[in-house]
Amino acid sequence: MSLAGFNRNPELSLGQKFLQVNWGLILLIAILAAIGCVMLYSAADGSMQPWARRHAIRFAGGLVVLLIVAMFDVRFWFRWAYPIYLVGVLLLVAVEVLGEVVMGAQRWIQIGPLTLQPSEVMKVAIVLALARIFHGISEEEIVRPTKLIGPLVLVALPTVLVLKQPDLGTSLILIMVSGVLFFAAGVRLWKFGVVAALGTGAVPVAWQFLHDYQKQRVLTFLNPESDPLGAGYHILQSKIALGAGGIFGKGLLEGSQSHLNFLPEKQTDFIFTMLAEEFGLIGGVALLVLYAIVILYGFAIALRARNQFGRLLAIGLTANLFLYVFINIAMVMGLIPVVGVPLPLVSYGGSAMLAIMISFGLVISVYVHRDVRIPRRGLGEED
Amino acid sequence: MSRRRNAPCAPHDGTQRPAGPVRRALRLDGTRKEVLETGRTRLLVAGIVFAVAFSAIGVRVLDLAVLNGGDTRDVATRADGPPPVQTRADIVDRNGHVLATTLPVAALYAEPREVDNPAQVAHQLAPILTESTAAELQALLDSAKSFVWLDRNLTPRQQYRVNRLGIPALHFKQSEKRFYPYGELTAHAVGYTNVDGKGIAGIEQSFNQLLKDSNQPLKLSLDVRVQHILMEELRAKMQEFEGIGAAGLVMDVRTGELLALASLPTYNPHEPGRASDDARFNRATLGIYEMGSTFKIFSTAAALETNAVSLFDKFDVSEPIRKAGFTIRDYKSKDGKLTVPQIFMHSSNIGTVKMAMETGTEVQRNTLRDLGLTRPVTLEIPEVGTPMVPNPWREISTVTVSYGHGIAVNAVQLASAVGATVNHGRRHAPTLLKRDPSDVGPGTRVFSAKTSRQMRKLMRLVVEYGTGKNADAYGYRVGGKTGTADKPDHGGYGEAQISSFVGAFPMDDPRYVVFAMIDEPKGQEHTYGYATGGWVAAPVVKHVIERMGPLLGIEPRPVKTPEKENHPLLVNALSEDERVASN
Repeated sequence: MSLAGFNRNPELSLGQKFLQVNWGLILLIAILAAIGCVMLYSAADGSMQPWARRHAIRFAGGLVVLLIVAMFDVRFWFRWAYPIYLVGVLLLVAVEVLGEVVMGAQRWIQIGPLTLQPSEVMKVAIVLALARIFHGISEEEIVRPTKLIGPLVLVALPTVLVLKQPDLGTSLILIMVSGVLFFAAGVRLWKFGVVAALGTGAVPVAWQFLHDYQKQRVLTFLNPESDPLGAGYHILQSKIALGAGGIFGKGLLEGSQSHLNFLPEKQTDFIFTMLAEEFGLIGGVALLVLYAIVILYGFAIALRARNQFGRLLAIGLTANLFLYVFINIAMVMGLIPVVGVPLPLVSYGGSAMLAIMISFGLVISVYVHRDVRIPRRGLGEED
Repeated sequence: MSRRRNAPCAPHDGTQRPAGPVRRALRLDGTRKEVLETGRTRLLVAGIVFAVAFSAIGVRVLDLAVLNGGDTRDVATRADGPPPVQTRADIVDRNGHVLATTLPVAALYAEPREVDNPAQVAHQLAPILTESTAAELQALLDSAKSFVWLDRNLTPRQQYRVNRLGIPALHFKQSEKRFYPYGELTAHAVGYTNVDGKGIAGIEQSFNQLLKDSNQPLKLSLDVRVQHILMEELRAKMQEFEGIGAAGLVMDVRTGELLALASLPTYNPHEPGRASDDARFNRATLGIYEMGSTFKIFSTAAALETNAVSLFDKFDVSEPIRKAGFTIRDYKSKDGKLTVPQIFMHSSNIGTVKMAMETGTEVQRNTLRDLGLTRPVTLEIPEVGTPMVPNPWREISTVTVSYGHGIAVNAVQLASAVGATVNHGRRHAPTLLKRDPSDVGPGTRVFSAKTSRQMRKLMRLVVEYGTGKNADAYGYRVGGKTGTADKPDHGGYGEAQISSFVGAFPMDDPRYVVFAMIDEPKGQEHTYGYATGGWVAAPVVKHVIERMGPLLGIEPRPVKTPEKENHPLLVNALSEDERVASN
């Protein structure tokens, strides 16, 4: 079937699409990645090796992927939403079977030269799949609880698989992103209440299933000073670094907490601490503002989208980005327990970078194809 | 966290009320519009939630960075907690290797009256406290005392295991233990402390107060690497020759620093009480010995210094000397006359005595005094032996002292005096503490540079052709002198010997003196029954130099040894005409 004859929407040529791309958003993304490069340069004590150079190269590669993804019609993504989700689930199963165990958790899978983290793929795939399924459920239908069985299964399957890895942080993010999509799709609020109540009731039960290190993290969060040299170390050192930075920071390469190796994982999850120590309150708030503008862009794009799929896709991926940023920063400041969540575009990490760039590609695709209409019952069948 | 949890509820209440009428109104316009409207409302709600959450972390950044919610600026300067309280300073070697340190330990005590079942408790403790048996522990626990120490030094693991027993009558007290990482290697120099942490031997005793007050490590002149080499080589020869003990040292002649100071047998400084008196006896400093032929170095140097004899003088050594009831013979009886180099090389007693007679009693006594051989050496440990010197110093004393009998000194004194002889005649007081190069003075002059040069040639000759060939470490130009002295035995001299060798290298500009001494070696089959200094101690010095030379950055530089017949000292000495001409 040809897409062109399918609806009344004007079909844009590739050149026209290119002009439609949100270059402002891409500029913001590039600035964030550049900040990442500077911080990784600093994390390596003033060296492009081993992180900064690869970070830049990955960003450049990711930018190409972003543009390619953005050029594809949103209907293409609509059509491929379930297959991509299926691939994501299969990868999670694969990692269970043949993944490598890194630091006690099985999260990586080797595909040729690439080391892939399927849970990162899943964060995008679940948004695609939920956007696709909610697109087919009208406002009237969504009142019926039976209509929610499908979406709930879509969420439960990857969540359980990620939990088994075990990766508590990612599974919580999956649930929260899904929650945002359920909310945006119009699911009645009392149902969230029921889920929240059930969830709270399940906490004591779930506690039994947590790994010791996960229990430790939660307990440490509740009282980090109880074990300043053990599990509370990360958070405490991080807080010290933030305090040491003051308003203007100590300056690039001058952060003692980071350079004297007080900080663990400074190139990944704790990079915000480094930034806050070296560039102070000004730097930290500036980064937050940048993220806020990017998220605002996502919202604006969601509001402008005239099809439910695109709208949900944009809101879901934006929520994803928001959760990354929020959880990471809240974590390093001791507002929530330590969970392994990177700071998008700034932290070092290939899979996360790729997932974020693909997400932005999809969001921009939604924008470029904002006026495309997609029938409720989907494509194809009505043709 | 609470802010985030509350946030979704707040807008919930706000939107619920208007939602009803709005939805009814919209229904007229069709479902699509309604869906979009609801969707937009919800997007807005989500946006507000996001904004609130972001504001929350923004406020938190502000709090930590500026309002000092972190409250830990000063803590940021340290990686770990406060440094452990250390009441006694470390002792380290010249390169900073820890020789003695203080560890916090737990001391375990019990209140026997609280113990319900002493037999069972003792049985449970015995496998943990390796120091005591179950029976010993039970005896302690059965006693009527109100307080007994069960073990004064528990490792953390032991403490943990005792804790796990969960016996209420057992208590811990934080305590300290002096720990010697190199154990018996440096035991004699470093010494040890008693159970209350008071130094009662060696450096630990001499510097007890300083170590208690200071928090700076005390730096010794010792080099554990050289110490290890010396101990190993001494031990090997002591075992090979079935000696009862051994001593040795390595001294920097330019500064007086002792790089190694060894006494065998040695002991474990953690348990000095279990060591025998003999093991705790420091043969290198407290033990004084008649050193024998090594003293010929000083006799010959004194003779040359005062011009009493010249290098080319000849002495008749064919007839044994009889003096005041003593008969002096030579080990290697040579017929005819010997030159001074030959006397020294072959260690002729008769020749040496004749040279000493030329030199005179007064000169000999003053020389030995200037070399520091007549008074106790000033060393930083309390275990220093007082030399035995002839009193009164008569002519017969001059005779025996010239070849190292009738005078007893310790090894440090001897090495220090040899050091002065080879170090251009300048003596540096021996020390066990590291000397800053700027603190090293010029030393006190004992011999002229010329005498020192001549003595170095003679000492080199001994190793090249004489009794000390076994000390010739390839490439290190070793010079030295053997010594084999009979040990006093019930008022006379018996079979027992002290075999020693004192060497210096490199002989063109000596840096180190190496001394080795084996107490009561027995002749072996492969040494043809000999247990003399040349057979027993010279190889020790050779091996020590071969191993320490590269370690201390002294390159082996092979020198061509002239044929004995062509050696300038010996050629000149043997040629009557040339000797006359040179006079």
